Amino acid sequence: MSYDTVVVGAGLAGLTAALRLSERGHRVLVVARGVGATHLAPATVDVLGYLGDTQVASPAASVPALVSTTPNHPYAHVPTEQLATSLEWFCTKTAALGYAGSVDENLLLPTALGVPKPSALAPRSMSGGDLRAGGRFVFVGLKGFKDFHPTLIADNLNHARLPNPIEARALELTPPSSRLGDLSGRVIAGRFDTEHLIDWLAGALEHGVDLDERIGVPAVLGLRSGDATWQELEKRLQRKVFEVATLPPSIPGIRLSDVLSSALRDGGARIVLGVRAVGARAKGGRVEAVEVVNATGTVSYPVSSVVLASGGFASGGLELDSFGATRETVFGLPLTGLPDTDRVRFTPHYFDTQPLATAGVATDDHLRPVDSSGSPVYENLHAAGAILGGATPWKEKSGTGISVATGYAAAEAVLTSAPMPASEALR
Amino acid sequence: MAAQNPSLSSLEADVLVIGGGSTGVGVARDAALRGFSTILVERRDLADGTTGRFHGLLHSGGRYAVKDPSAARECIAENRILRVTAADCVEDTGGLFVSTPWDDPEYGDQFLEGCRATGVPAEEIPVAEALRREPRVNPDIRRAFLVPDAALDPWKLVWGCARSAEEHGARILPYHRVLDLEVDGDRVVGAHVRSERSGEEFRIHATVVINAAGAWAGQIAELAHCAVNVRAGMGLMIAMNHRLVHMCVNRCKRPADGDILLPLRTACVIGTTDVFVPDPDQTEIRQDDIDLLLDEGEKLVPGFRQARALHAWAGVRPLFEDTAKVADTRDVTRSHALLDHSSREGIAGFLTITGGKTTTFRLMAEAAVDAACEQLGGPRPCTTAEVPLAGSESHTLYQISHRLAAREPVPQSEEIICECELITRSRLEDTIKQRDTTSLDDIRRLLRLAMGPCQGGFCIYRAAGILHQGGQVDHAGANQTLLDFLEERWKGVHPILHGDQLRQARLDDWIFQGILDVEHLPV
Repeated sequence: MSYDTVVVGAGLAGLTAALRLSERGHRVLVVARGVGATHLAPATVDVLGYLGDTQVASPAASVPALVSTTPNHPYAHVPTEQLATSLEWFCTKTAALGYAGSVDENLLLPTALGVPKPSALAPRSMSGGDLRAGGRFVFVGLKGFKDFHPTLIADNLNHARLPNPIEARALELTPPSSRLGDLSGRVIAGRFDTEHLIDWLAGALEHGVDLDERIGVPAVLGLRSGDATWQELEKRLQRKVFEVATLPPSIPGIRLSDVLSSALRDGGARIVLGVRAVGARAKGGRVEAVEVVNATGTVSYPVSSVVLASGGFASGGLELDSFGATRETVFGLPLTGLPDTDRVRFTPHYFDTQPLATAGVATDDHLRPVDSSGSPVYENLHAAGAILGGATPWKEKSGTGISVATGYAAAEAVLTSAPMPASEALR
Repeated sequence: MAAQNPSLSSLEADVLVIGGGSTGVGVARDAALRGFSTILVERRDLADGTTGRFHGLLHSGGRYAVKDPSAARECIAENRILRVTAADCVEDTGGLFVSTPWDDPEYGDQFLEGCRATGVPAEEIPVAEALRREPRVNPDIRRAFLVPDAALDPWKLVWGCARSAEEHGARILPYHRVLDLEVDGDRVVGAHVRSERSGEEFRIHATVVINAAGAWAGQIAELAHCAVNVRAGMGLMIAMNHRLVHMCVNRCKRPADGDILLPLRTACVIGTTDVFVPDPDQTEIRQDDIDLLLDEGEKLVPGFRQARALHAWAGVRPLFEDTAKVADTRDVTRSHALLDHSSREGIAGFLTITGGKTTTFRLMAEAAVDAACEQLGGPRPCTTAEVPLAGSESHTLYQISHRLAAREPVPQSEEIICECELITRSRLEDTIKQRDTTSLDDIRRLLRLAMGPCQGGFCIYRAAGILHQGGQVDHAGANQTLLDFLEERWKGVHPILHGDQLRQARLDDWIFQGILDVEHLPV
């Protein structure tokens, strides 16, 4: 089996790039060490939530301002109309989860601490938590589930700065007895999948909640059945219900990862997890093959293009050793955003922007990693997602938006440079 | 010196102890056990100073056997006592002294001779046997010696003493700062104190005031115009993920920087350095010292630099230098100093106990209270060598598996709030209630909450929610202690962040900033 493109990384950026290439006829192989950070993060697509200290109402309107002050930001390599296109495309590919929202205005969704957080897109099971219109909310905790604290959420929301007044309260329910006294989100989601826990939940919420109250529940309504459970719950209760993302593992994130992975496999792409891409065989400024270590040894995959979506420090795409040296772990690409001196990697205040925060690879407008002179390292190597330098995603609330936009843009760049993949020509 | 202010409310006691480290709580407990009414004040939380920041070694005396024989004798005597009276605070790890390729193997002969002369049990074992016991230790070691070192949990020790003192009528007042000492003529008669929590100020009158403020003892003595020259020797420690060693492993050489690696509960700790600092409250961690410890760790355990470093912190040793030209300092040994200010400066009712080490805290307390007895109507016998601390009544030595063992009979009985340290919800809720605390950092010291590999990434959100749900704090209080905790935690995390622990830290960033968005909490 030969492949046109190898995508390194199975997080949101990698899956996005792979799916876009696959649907355009490329034979795609995704290789990754694990399932990717999608399993950890809420399934929202956060394009841009904050510009400095200012909350962003419209990402479409604010991304140009971000790019003009931060010219090395990943969004600088994604044309504005392509950013919108990528989100629309994403929504059609994830139709099973019913993503709501757009690049034009941010939803304000409550976090598990009761902070209104801006997101461009959210699955419909979560988007009903949009706080912008105000109103009455009840947050429902489940006894035995330690990762959701509704009294603190409600109390914080009642003191949050919001465009319209809201009134929030907390409610704690005791799920039907289980032999488990320590319930994880996965266990509860599994019970929604297999035990019709929805009957209990709908029954418990029917009385006790006013008709005009929106009901926030922890995002544990099922892994396979999550969206269906949510729809059924709204139907039975005749009230708006929404999930609130909480600590990892993220049930909505796993759902999203599953939807994208299934679409890829259905389209004929191959995903191999538990392996490690370790380098390239290159000739004449092009990657000819990607070297991948699996359980039995090293395999060399000949390719016409590569998308590197191995993530940042969190996912192992970047590494800092104890001597202060930072490296890109797959191809040893040049990095930007490194502090001037390896002595000051971090500053003593947690909420400062840390010197190493924007480290990553720099690219040209085709998202090809470049060296210090600005020339592409390899003609046919593109990068997407958290491996890209120049952003402070957790502060900007831009991580998943960067992954979708650059994953899509990297695929488009591959398609532009290699519209007729080698495998297609052979057929 | 404060003028008498009759409007202030006041408390009375035979003995007022200043300082809530191991020495202070040891003195308070000893005095209470001897039947004296006793009050202890500490400006912050108990064990917030040097005691809570030392490496955690219960010395066998081996480290001092060559350099300081009297300290070695004290250590082995106290080691034997604490294994019985403070059993719940001691893990009997055993100690290993090894000659690495960087150490002179002949020092081992001096070491054995020193141990023999000071009564520290030491036995040379074959290198192969040492490596069988400690497979990660450098395979090129040339000699190895067993000694009865052990790991000591400083917070359990201090709280065990404090609770024991309270059971005998003492009042233990953390977060109470001494603003001034009250001096009446040539006598210290009490202190002017402020509650750091409520802001309330009051006086405590006492027949004897015992200054057990450790590296801060000079600052306290000055309030009575007494000179106590304590220098602060800063020592750096790094906690590593997992127990790279199961015994306290020392380099067999004259004590120096970075020569000890010991297991402490679920982690292990490498120490230490020794740098004089002008102000014990200003302890800046320098990258050079981090590198020094990592390099020395690499000599003991190859691959040390690739292991996960969790947290770095500095403690300050109180190093007493007697500059006073008074012969009678009652300097019991070179390792600690008991100063009677009546003989030194003519100020009665005022004693300072400083220097020393946590291993010998009980002995220091005994000496201090013996001296206090002379001003309180005559000798009363000390019983701290026999009476167990609160929590150690069964004389059962602590084992790493204790929390797991407690959990095992009903493994799914309730939520585990901190998986790293196996802290259950009820244990957390009970502690919050008992301590009546609103601070996640206090809870950390009491339960080791957030001290494992994720450094609070998961449990701190849960603990803040539980603190708020219990009604201890309103939303602003919960948010503030959460933010304070993250800021405080970062001080110890950022100097050593690299490798896999940086991955962990980035996951924590995603949790706190990406998922929860703590930066925009209302406070």
